Amino acid sequence: MAALCRGRHRWKTYNFLKVLTRTLTGKYDYDLIVIGGGSGGLACSKEAAQLGQKVAVLDYVEPSAIGTKWGLGGTCVNVGCIPKKLMHQAALLGTAFKDAKKFGWQIPEALSHDWSTMAGGVQNYIKSLNWGHRVQLNDKKVKYLNMKGSLVDEHTVKGLTKAGKETTLTAKNIVIATGGRPKYPTNIPGAMEHGITSDDIFWLKKSPGKTLVVGASYVGLECAGFLTGIGLDTTIMVRSIALRGFDQQMAGLVTEYMEAYGTKFAWKCLPRRIDKLSSGALQVMWTDTHTGSEHQDTYDTVLWAVGRAPETKALGLVKLGMELNKETGKIIVGSDESTSVPNIYAFGDIGEGRPELTPTAIKAGRLLARRLAGQSSQLMNYDNVPTTVFTPLEYGCVGLSEEDAEKRYGKDGIEVYHAFYKPLEFTVAERDASQCYLKVVCERGENQKILGLHFTGPNAGEVTQGFALGFQCGATYWDLLNTVGIHPTCAEEVTKVHITKRSGLDATVTGC
Amino acid sequence: MASDPSTEDITRLDFLVIGGGSGGLAGARRAAELGATTAVIESHRLGGTCVSKVMWNAAVHAEYLHDHSDYGFEAGQVHFSWETLKAKRDTYVSHLNRIYRNNLDKAKIQTIQGQARFTNDPEPTVEVNGKKYTAPHILIATGGYPSVLSEEEVPGAGLGITSDGFFELESLPKRSVVVGAGYIAVEMAGILSTLGSKTSLVIRQTGVLRNFDSLISTNCTKELQNSGVDLWKNSQVTSVKKIDDSLELTIATRDPEKKNDEEKISTIGQVDCLLWAIGRQPNTFGLNIGAIGVETDDRGHIVVDEFQNTSRPGVYAVGDVCGKALLTPVAIAAGRKLAHRLFEGKKDSKLDYSCIPTVVFSHPPIGTVGLTEEEAIKTRGKDNVKIYKTSFTPMYHALTSRKSQCLMKLVCVGKEEKVVGLHMQGLGCDEMLQGFAVAIKMGATKSDFDKTVAIHPTSSEEFVTMR
Repeated sequence: MAALCRGRHRWKTYNFLKVLTRTLTGKYDYDLIVIGGGSGGLACSKEAAQLGQKVAVLDYVEPSAIGTKWGLGGTCVNVGCIPKKLMHQAALLGTAFKDAKKFGWQIPEALSHDWSTMAGGVQNYIKSLNWGHRVQLNDKKVKYLNMKGSLVDEHTVKGLTKAGKETTLTAKNIVIATGGRPKYPTNIPGAMEHGITSDDIFWLKKSPGKTLVVGASYVGLECAGFLTGIGLDTTIMVRSIALRGFDQQMAGLVTEYMEAYGTKFAWKCLPRRIDKLSSGALQVMWTDTHTGSEHQDTYDTVLWAVGRAPETKALGLVKLGMELNKETGKIIVGSDESTSVPNIYAFGDIGEGRPELTPTAIKAGRLLARRLAGQSSQLMNYDNVPTTVFTPLEYGCVGLSEEDAEKRYGKDGIEVYHAFYKPLEFTVAERDASQCYLKVVCERGENQKILGLHFTGPNAGEVTQGFALGFQCGATYWDLLNTVGIHPTCAEEVTKVHITKRSGLDATVTGC
Repeated sequence: MASDPSTEDITRLDFLVIGGGSGGLAGARRAAELGATTAVIESHRLGGTCVSKVMWNAAVHAEYLHDHSDYGFEAGQVHFSWETLKAKRDTYVSHLNRIYRNNLDKAKIQTIQGQARFTNDPEPTVEVNGKKYTAPHILIATGGYPSVLSEEEVPGAGLGITSDGFFELESLPKRSVVVGAGYIAVEMAGILSTLGSKTSLVIRQTGVLRNFDSLISTNCTKELQNSGVDLWKNSQVTSVKKIDDSLELTIATRDPEKKNDEEKISTIGQVDCLLWAIGRQPNTFGLNIGAIGVETDDRGHIVVDEFQNTSRPGVYAVGDVCGKALLTPVAIAAGRKLAHRLFEGKKDSKLDYSCIPTVVFSHPPIGTVGLTEEEAIKTRGKDNVKIYKTSFTPMYHALTSRKSQCLMKLVCVGKEEKVVGLHMQGLGCDEMLQGFAVAIKMGATKSDFDKTVAIHPTSSEEFVTMR
């Protein structure tokens, strides 16, 4: 043990001298090296290059457990936002098809969906984006290296190609934006051998068939949502609650809609083991924690959506003494994205406590690049971040959940305006709109500043963005009321909301 | 000889509303809530209905159906039944009429069915079906109706229909011609064309929506043509003839660019439906407002001040009959503000007519709020105006063979780059606009837009990431 410590000390001294020499001569290969070519890494490197810095970005995709891999662009482009939204769109079209009949379209009864046509289209689009990113890096004069990066010291990065060739690069500053990967459960026999994750679902060549999705985060709900929509027998297994961290009333509306829409829910259940049968199907055994009883069923596919984690081991962070959160494995970062190691920064999904969203990574990356180039001192503001869950009934929100607002201001300190509304397009289609809802959580009093805004309904993403801007500008309930509505839309209902939860009155509003 | 008011049977109320449309009903209901005894006089059906949006939804389905196979759906031939749609739409409208009726009854508002007419009595008095009504506050909210050309102006004009007639159609016309370049013409042409009618659009100049920002005007004109609408620029219908079961139109086209003043005459034959969408006029027919000295402009709109007062004390007007911002939510808001002023003592209660957001349900839809680029330059000077623009193909089209563009523009003024205008056309723009309208009304600047984090992946995020 003592020898190890001495050895480490000697290595540290050696490194210090090397760094000192380099600093004194001012000779680095690059001004900035970014490890990770995803939403954050690409935005950061391009911004830095635009500001005159010499930049290199390393991107490498370690294949998933079943061998799925993809090109430049990170999670969002390849196995996240983009394919998910496109497949969600495919599912919505299936519903629209059914509605079309009521609008006078005479459609044959049987409607079938072909997975490979959709997946092929999605995969081709993603590949065009991979290519687009390569071209952009080239145009912006960012050096792109398809290598797995790891840290040697605070100015040195080691790059490893697929073939095993090593390269060493030095830089004044290093940024880690390697994001995360889906987790596999560790204590369930057969989980890794027989299950897949969101890394794989979008790249399957054949339909996943009857699917069990384990996990009720937005990843799980969104995947189960579009699988149901394209006609597959889909079940979600939930350990405790859905959309943890989100407003729970809204989460309830989202899952209620999904249940009415055809997704099966196994609430408060824990999978125990997965076995592959001779037919090729997967047999899943689980416990209903409510009753304690054991169940089993067979599926074609089991999709794990039980959380994401960074691959910090391969980065060599522990060796460098970088402070990590022991539970999550994520890097502990300051408000300026600095880590505990000088000259090394981290942001995006890999930052502890950061939202796992593309737009925040992009913004943070750009601001970081500007600060490192000495062009600005502006820090990233992680407040007021809007988001949308692209489940069959979409849910958009910005600000605090009702629970968090209550905790912060007290039940008597807030006023919640709400409404159950019916989108006009549901009327002729004779669709149930019981879960189309919105609420505006305000500070009680004369000013009524908006603390949180929540909306379930079609096009929630498009509806929410503008309101997020209003929220950013400090909008009050009166600002909403003073804005003339646009008619006929779903969004206008937000400017008309007037029934409070406190009044106890029926919050159903009629349309025109 | 004038009748003696003291012996006559005149019903006295606190608030009398003439017109049971969006503005009238909103004003009446709010007044009743504030304690005023109220009556609404309506000569036709209650409620302003948005049937047009239902038709637009049907057309949107048409576009989706084209995209289905690209997204992996396998379906055979698809046909459209106008009859099915009309039946469902009419049921929905009747349903809404009943809801309106119930709302009024619940609020204890008296509804009087009939044509209202002001009498010559000294106090403003209205007569309906032989009975007289008066109130210290009378609201005229009679709306408008589509303009028509006379037989002298265009022989055979009466063979065409207007947007009112469009909703009476029993079947989809095989061949349609729409005349007009405003949003009604654009919406009607879009609906007809997308549902399968071979459609032409005749416009007097070179583009549609000429009062909108030039980005919208140019792009909307282009999208109409791309979607298969046969656009006739610099043209006017000069006569209409009925030949067997269909119509033959004579069109005169004059290209202002060409030096010689010659007109080109063409005909369009076998037209099943000629739709005039050339403007709307205020509806003061039969009201006899001259009797009470209410001023109108040269087009017949009732002149009001910012508080909706007409030139006669105690008589007010809101909505389309005033000719300003012909939109349902505007009429509703103005009606309500008036009720608060009259019956809650809120002396300053009035509607702010600036920054009113509007959507045109074209294909794809248009959203706009605030000043156009041209208006901003005129009022603030070119040096004070900064424009931000972007255009892209929405991700929805990643898999479709059919494509449409999304265009966005921000009009900013001053050093602080205050956003005074926002204009867009593209998929989703109809639901996108509302939130931005709130912020722009609050005085948002370009910097506020930049500070707002994007929602990904959406089209709307492009507004908060413009460079």
